[in-house]
Amino acid sequence: MPELVRVEHVTRRFGAHVAVDDVSLSVEPGEIVGLLGANGAGKTTLIRMLLGLTTADAGGLRLLGRVPDRSTRRQVGYVPQGLGLYDDLTVRENVVFAAQAYGYDVPEVPTELVPVADTLVGAIGLGRQRRLAFALALAHRPALLVLDEPTSGVDPLARARLWDRVHAQAEAGVGVLVTTHYMSEAQQCDRLVLMSHGRVVAAGSEDELTGSTTAVAVDAGSWQRVFAVLDAAGLPVMLAGRAVRVAAVPRDLVERVLHDAGLAADVRDVPATLEEAMVALDTERARTP
Amino acid sequence: MRAMIVKEFRELRRDHRTMAMLFALPVLLLVIFGYAANFTIDSISTQVVGPQAEQVAVVLPPLFDVQGTDAAASSDEARTLVRDDVADVVLDTSTTPPTAYVDGSSLFVAQTASAALGRAGDQVRTEILFNPDLTTSWVMVPALVGLILTFVGTIITSIGLVRERQTGTLEQLAVMPLRPADVIVGKIAPYFLLASLDMLVVTLLGVWIFGVPFRGSPALFALAAATFLFVVLGLGVLISTASQTQGQAIQVALMTLLPQILLSGFIFPLQAMPPAISWIGYCLPLTWFVKVSQGIMLRGAGLDSLWPAFVVLTGMAVAVFSAAVLRFRRDLAPARRASAPDREQVPA
Repeated sequence: MPELVRVEHVTRRFGAHVAVDDVSLSVEPGEIVGLLGANGAGKTTLIRMLLGLTTADAGGLRLLGRVPDRSTRRQVGYVPQGLGLYDDLTVRENVVFAAQAYGYDVPEVPTELVPVADTLVGAIGLGRQRRLAFALALAHRPALLVLDEPTSGVDPLARARLWDRVHAQAEAGVGVLVTTHYMSEAQQCDRLVLMSHGRVVAAGSEDELTGSTTAVAVDAGSWQRVFAVLDAAGLPVMLAGRAVRVAAVPRDLVERVLHDAGLAADVRDVPATLEEAMVALDTERARTP
Repeated sequence: MRAMIVKEFRELRRDHRTMAMLFALPVLLLVIFGYAANFTIDSISTQVVGPQAEQVAVVLPPLFDVQGTDAAASSDEARTLVRDDVADVVLDTSTTPPTAYVDGSSLFVAQTASAALGRAGDQVRTEILFNPDLTTSWVMVPALVGLILTFVGTIITSIGLVRERQTGTLEQLAVMPLRPADVIVGKIAPYFLLASLDMLVVTLLGVWIFGVPFRGSPALFALAAATFLFVVLGLGVLISTASQTQGQAIQVALMTLLPQILLSGFIFPLQAMPPAISWIGYCLPLTWFVKVSQGIMLRGAGLDSLWPAFVVLTGMAVAVFSAAVLRFRRDLAPARRASAPDREQVPA
């Protein structure tokens, strides 16, 4: 089976701003590829190009082995950030419209949405709206599922359920391309593509991305004081429980800042988490001209 | 409170559409009202027919702008000249005393003409055609049909289309395997049908409640309404493609609606406006629809005299609707534009 998605050296500019800069990636059947990056990294623009919603200024895109067109889009299930549901139609009417637009038999309303089947979508909760959007994206049995920030604003339990469904689809051979900025969700992906300022700064599994990257852990009596001092020094400081961690800077810099502030602390290198590795890669990219 | 006021001014300064409504619109309204809001008719297009046509034409007061004479024309032909809107007044010298046929479908012109002719006493007999009592509602209802079509076609359509963009469903439609033509027709057809229904209801109510005559061909009227609908629907679609929110769409649609109300001859007679302003009126679709609807309903005019208005409306419909469809299609299928030159270079 051919690659579901193939993007090669794609660039997209908006005036002087380069939203996507020479990006390449692929998605295989049954694979969950996570597109990571902060807001404005270029994830959504890349997905919009792939779906034909905006054009590439340079580079090549293939969807199911072909230039994206109406027939390839028939095999794509897409859940946009805004969900793309009609708030002024009921749940059932949304289901009917999607079925008629894609040309398949109108299915039953998903079991968990039956109690609100005749309620306007705008009047049901966000969790149910996401469930409906996900059901509609899958109803035409797509070969590729594209999810743009699928769990934004969803509670942890609903998020876990949604990822269960994503995994079930992948096991059935559906390729999944998902954008997220939640690190916990990145760990659900088979492969990660990290974007920063429009470019791919790293790609691979979680282990490959963290690799030999280290962070600095600081143990001190007063973690609040340590945090405040490091933060005031402009270092990317984070909290893991009550442990203070600093990403993307050498240990001696942390030691010097603490020493100058007259703080005694145990400072040591530790393996970086995915989030810390991303901060390091992002910082490195920002330093690259 | 001071913070709120400062914040409000900062927001307003960056909202160009609202700023335009705040400053440009009042100036525009002042200019338009200053020049257009004029019920005084200084010139009435006139034809003189019958054996004494040449002699009478030269002695008419300057108010009557004689545009032609025909010594051989009969009284019936004189009436036809009024029906076909060749002139607002036709003076027939074949009768004794001469008869002035006045077009009652041009309300203010007819009022001015009959007042001037009345001053001539028994020297001339005045016959007001098509609206003998100069009833205002008879003139307003055919024009109102056009205004209602404009309202539904431009404002309601643009709001409906922008709603898709604002809620993000337009993006979802673009991703579905629908042809752009399916989406465009599917979006516009309901508004076309609703506006047609509105037109039918208003016309029937006008005839039933106000007793407005319907002397011409209903089929020709329907054709004119459909052509005009394509113009105003196209405007609605164009506005939607240039607006991000329903509020913006309403603002822009109102800016297109207001000049049409003021300058189409619907309220203020075009004959009373200075040429520069009346020319703006002639560039607006409602002006031409009002000519057609009043012509068909009140005068029973046919295509032989109304064809210029049909040609203008058809030209506007083709231009505006085509531009609208192209812009809407671009929103739905941007990838078909030739801006990704090497997309094909990727090996399969």
